[in-house]
Amino acid sequence: MGPLRSMRDGIGFDTLLIGFALLYLLAFAGLPLLYNVIISFQQVDVFSLGTLLHPGAGWDNYLSIFRDPLAQMVLWNTIIFTVGSVAFQFTIGFAFALFFHQKFPGATWFRGLFLAAWVMPGLVVGVLWNWLLSGDFGVINHVLLSMGLISEPIFWRSDIDVSLYSVILANIWYGMPFNMILLSVGLAAIPDDLYEAAALDGATAWQKFWTITLPMMRSTIGAVLALGVIFTLQQFDLFAAITSGGPAGSSTVAQYWSWQLSFREFDFGRGAVISVMMILVVLAVSLVYVRSTRAETRM
Amino acid sequence: MSQPQIRIENVDKHYGAFHALKSVDLTIPKGGFVALVGPSGCGKSTLLRTIAGLEKISAGNMWIEDRLVNDLAPRHRDLAMVFQSYALYPHMNVRDNLTYALRLKGVSKAERAKRAQEVAETIGLENLLDRFPRALSGGQRQRVAMGRAIIRSPKAFLFDEPLSNLDAALRVRMRKEIRALHDRIGATSVYVTHDQIEAMTMADHVVVLRAGVIEQQGAPLELYERPANRFVAGFIGSPAMNFAPGVVAEDGSSVAALGATIATDVTMQPGQAVTVGLRPEHVSVVAPDAPGAVPTRIAAVEATGSSSYLFTENDPELVLVTNGTSALKAGENVGLAIPPDQVHLFDPDTQAALRQTG
Repeated sequence: MGPLRSMRDGIGFDTLLIGFALLYLLAFAGLPLLYNVIISFQQVDVFSLGTLLHPGAGWDNYLSIFRDPLAQMVLWNTIIFTVGSVAFQFTIGFAFALFFHQKFPGATWFRGLFLAAWVMPGLVVGVLWNWLLSGDFGVINHVLLSMGLISEPIFWRSDIDVSLYSVILANIWYGMPFNMILLSVGLAAIPDDLYEAAALDGATAWQKFWTITLPMMRSTIGAVLALGVIFTLQQFDLFAAITSGGPAGSSTVAQYWSWQLSFREFDFGRGAVISVMMILVVLAVSLVYVRSTRAETRM
Repeated sequence: MSQPQIRIENVDKHYGAFHALKSVDLTIPKGGFVALVGPSGCGKSTLLRTIAGLEKISAGNMWIEDRLVNDLAPRHRDLAMVFQSYALYPHMNVRDNLTYALRLKGVSKAERAKRAQEVAETIGLENLLDRFPRALSGGQRQRVAMGRAIIRSPKAFLFDEPLSNLDAALRVRMRKEIRALHDRIGATSVYVTHDQIEAMTMADHVVVLRAGVIEQQGAPLELYERPANRFVAGFIGSPAMNFAPGVVAEDGSSVAALGATIATDVTMQPGQAVTVGLRPEHVSVVAPDAPGAVPTRIAAVEATGSSSYLFTENDPELVLVTNGTSALKAGENVGLAIPPDQVHLFDPDTQAALRQTG
């Protein structure tokens, strides 16, 4: 039972492969995560940044973040941004997935084109939407004006009432195709004969959707929504490109605020506080995701 | 039994350039059990699916209880179908699977539970009502699929090869159960199968299809005894009928075939080319010098216990079946006794039966 033997029978090799993966995760995800938690309890500024150990700060950073006048607005913005983006990405993505699930010529080809939006870098998408949303010569204002829906142009990026929504709009467009593809896969996995059996049992198209499609998609939907929340909480590029979190913080969300604190104000301790709290949220959502995908394999 | 429940007239089905059903005419009587049988790709499933409304017919007419249903959606046809895959709803337990159609109709929950209980008792599922399909065996799933059809008391049951996913022993048992259930409920049934034994044992009326055409339809034994053409003759019966080329002799009633003269009980044109068809169970082995016997030699013997298959050294080789264990050995010289009234004759060009025995 030497190491060579266990190497040859495959068990040792399995352990080796898992070992590498675990080591990688530990070094490049685990340690930074841990370090992030540690510095959220420390005083870190631009002068002490180079040292490994910093003076402890107890809960000061946390208290200071909670008391910050921006905190409440950022929290609300984050909730609105996440819920708004995920809700519309999902429903529009689901609608498109159902649409392309109808077998018409070119359906799969056309669906593939939608992925073009998703493969673009976020900054490029941001620049694209800057043009579309431009107050003076943007296409969106032009369309709304010529349809008579608005009487004067909306300054999407610089109006504090709408700046957040302009980023949400771009993010819905950006993330929808991903939702659509995952949901399409889920739809394709439902056997046709279930719909045929339901048709003979007397189901209308609407009843088939509610009693067959939706329940059969439960695990896929859980996974898509969980991933949607996680990706939305990671969205940074669009804010950087479209509003830079402004004006006056009106479109600042947690992840952008964390970056601003850390890399604009060099207040790494407080920046870390926000990311620690986001880790907790993402962790909870990840549990939903893991549970969903586990149910999927059991089906 | 005489009133038609489903009437199909001159129905065609095209899939692009593929002609799946060609001028099909079929009348299914109320309470009848009709089997659609044929090799794969013959159009039997397509025909069933057009009755269900899952496929639209390209031409012709179809009536269910005097209602023209050419353009009627499946959900308005009031038919129940048992699928080959069973198509049970995986996210519903047995009770919900059984009562799905009732739920769509807005039947109350209490009433649904009562009906589910009744049907479950009929088909022996009463202990499984809370189980999900994934926790059922193949035979149990089959029963749920049956129960889902029964609970609705539909105008007709459509079966699409429902037993093909079961093992042989269970298949034989379910065959009897389905037929018994049919007799008890008295519902009209259309049953698709590629297994001619299933068709012969279950149905009152067998429809043999090939390449989208009905080759012959009739009572099971009628098809066995009086096949309309060589295809039906070869398809019905197991082991399959032997075929050999022959020529009608001068007397107009015997046929020169298999290197001998075979007597028949019909009159034909002397010199006419024919195909002789002999069922393995109708030819018996006698002494080589018996009068009127076809002399030959045994090439091989396969014993199954209950019967033996004998292969002869004729050209083409013949298969014979005898009951029990045969004492014959390969290489033995024997004679074949062929009763004249059991000789089937076919036109080699049109494949049609030249006369019908029985």
